[in-house]
Amino acid sequence: MSDVDLIGIGLTKFAKHDNKTSRDLLAEALQEAITTVDKGINIRKDIKALFVGYFTPSLYEHQSHYGPLITEWFGLTGIPAFRTESACASSSSALATGYFAVASGVYDIVMICGVEKMTSLDTSGVTDALSIAADDIFELGTGITFPGLFALMAQEYFGKYGGSWEDLQAVTLKNHYNGSLNPKAQFQAEISAIAEKIAIKKGVTFKDELDFLNSKYNPPVAYPLRLFDCSPISDGAAVAFLANSEISNRFTDRPLHIKGIGLSTDTLSIAGRDDLTTSKATLKAAYMAYKMAGITPKDIEIAEVHDCFTINEIILSESLGFFKKGTGLAMAQKGITKIIGDQPINTDGGLKSKGHPVGATGIAMVNELWEQLRGEAGERQVKDNPRIGLTCNVGGSNASSMVFIFERGTN
Amino acid sequence: MLLTVQDYIDGLIEGKIFGSKCNKCNQIMIPIKPVCSKCGNFSVEKFKTKGKGFLKNFTIIYVAPEKFKDKVPYAVGLIQIDEGGLIMGRLVGVSPDKPENIKIGSKVKFELLIENEKVIVVFRVIDINKAE
Repeated sequence: MSDVDLIGIGLTKFAKHDNKTSRDLLAEALQEAITTVDKGINIRKDIKALFVGYFTPSLYEHQSHYGPLITEWFGLTGIPAFRTESACASSSSALATGYFAVASGVYDIVMICGVEKMTSLDTSGVTDALSIAADDIFELGTGITFPGLFALMAQEYFGKYGGSWEDLQAVTLKNHYNGSLNPKAQFQAEISAIAEKIAIKKGVTFKDELDFLNSKYNPPVAYPLRLFDCSPISDGAAVAFLANSEISNRFTDRPLHIKGIGLSTDTLSIAGRDDLTTSKATLKAAYMAYKMAGITPKDIEIAEVHDCFTINEIILSESLGFFKKGTGLAMAQKGITKIIGDQPINTDGGLKSKGHPVGATGIAMVNELWEQLRGEAGERQVKDNPRIGLTCNVGGSNASSMVFIFERGTN
Repeated sequence: MLLTVQDYIDGLIEGKIFGSKCNKCNQIMIPIKPVCSKCGNFSVEKFKTKGKGFLKNFTIIYVAPEKFKDKVPYAVGLIQIDEGGLIMGRLVGVSPDKPENIKIGSKVKFELLIENEKVIVVFRVIDINKAE
């Protein structure tokens, strides 16, 4: 089996992109990705296969058979192309599939894409589109929603380990602060700035950030979760290139080496699980990835963790082994997961503030590691030159979990 | 004959929640499954529950998908079925406006609701005192 390196990566700003379809966004991400390959890449000559993650093109754009659509758009007609789907982990499944393709020796260089064009539907339509990642027969018939599934996890967590909705706001505040430093983020604003804007507009005053988050301007979505506990509806795309490590020096002297990969599933329906406060799929995926990399959670200097809802950053940070069960919330409150903390999580603002175009999220997480591990993250740069980072991208209510460990390499 | 989703839905229409019981290792699975989750045996038969249990947890939905938009706010709960296993269902007999009054551990009973010609799994809170 061959070793695999990441040799370049790019992404669009995450936002509501009016008048742009998913393929337009992918072309934008591709253009940026090409500029990140230190010694240049000729995609028409070098790319042997393409894997693209997009959760629901059929609902957002009335489109399926997405592989050849993109190879045509990119001028690559003829190479094999596949769409992978694992709900919010769709582009991590593209990354995994591309990794298998290169590690197996079948292809030497492949392109990985991820995209979602969500704002073509209204909020109710998006709620509906996202909900089909849950079990249609055993869950959705009750009227449950995605925020509702994670609200149930939050209720279980508070019941088992204590803590409250107020405590969770440490995640909201941190991720919005990090997002304020990220030019690609959908919300480049701290909660205090958002509160101030609303205060002026509505002629009201807030004592502090928590007072704002407790106000009617942060309406309930699924008790106990409110609007600012949820990642937003976003459009965005990301593109990455993987190459066999033996030839990656043709493209860069500073690749990111894929040091570990772990993939797992849990029951689709959350009613099938005996403990909602742990992501068993993440426990297993992380174990496999750490084992392959020959490291432990202590060696991870920076992590991108799927905070589709605030509670999930806490649950996953425990399932990944960064914190003991039931202590993740306290760690977030202590600031351990801040950029300047001992275990930085979601330095790019996370899904919460950077945005969550679901099919693009997995590669967007990797993009943050690319910048951080190469020392290119600007104001968000984690101190002491981090060398090893991890991404944990999940699908649905943690029914798919995909963990990747990257290490800064030298050629 | 493999058990199917239709077997489960037929049960709901009769007012019953069905699970599966493995003919080899006696494992009970709720709701219905075609294969034993413990030993992998395909010979499983329908297992009738009493449709009773207690409220393990709940949420209140304020932002709903299109087809449930006119129902908000409504409560959805995870029910621990007495015979084992969890089932998700709409909660009735509670006030969704006052989540603080909904008590974890309340005894509940399955009720069938047909809404827009679709079968909805509903649990009615019959006693807010904790089940033993």
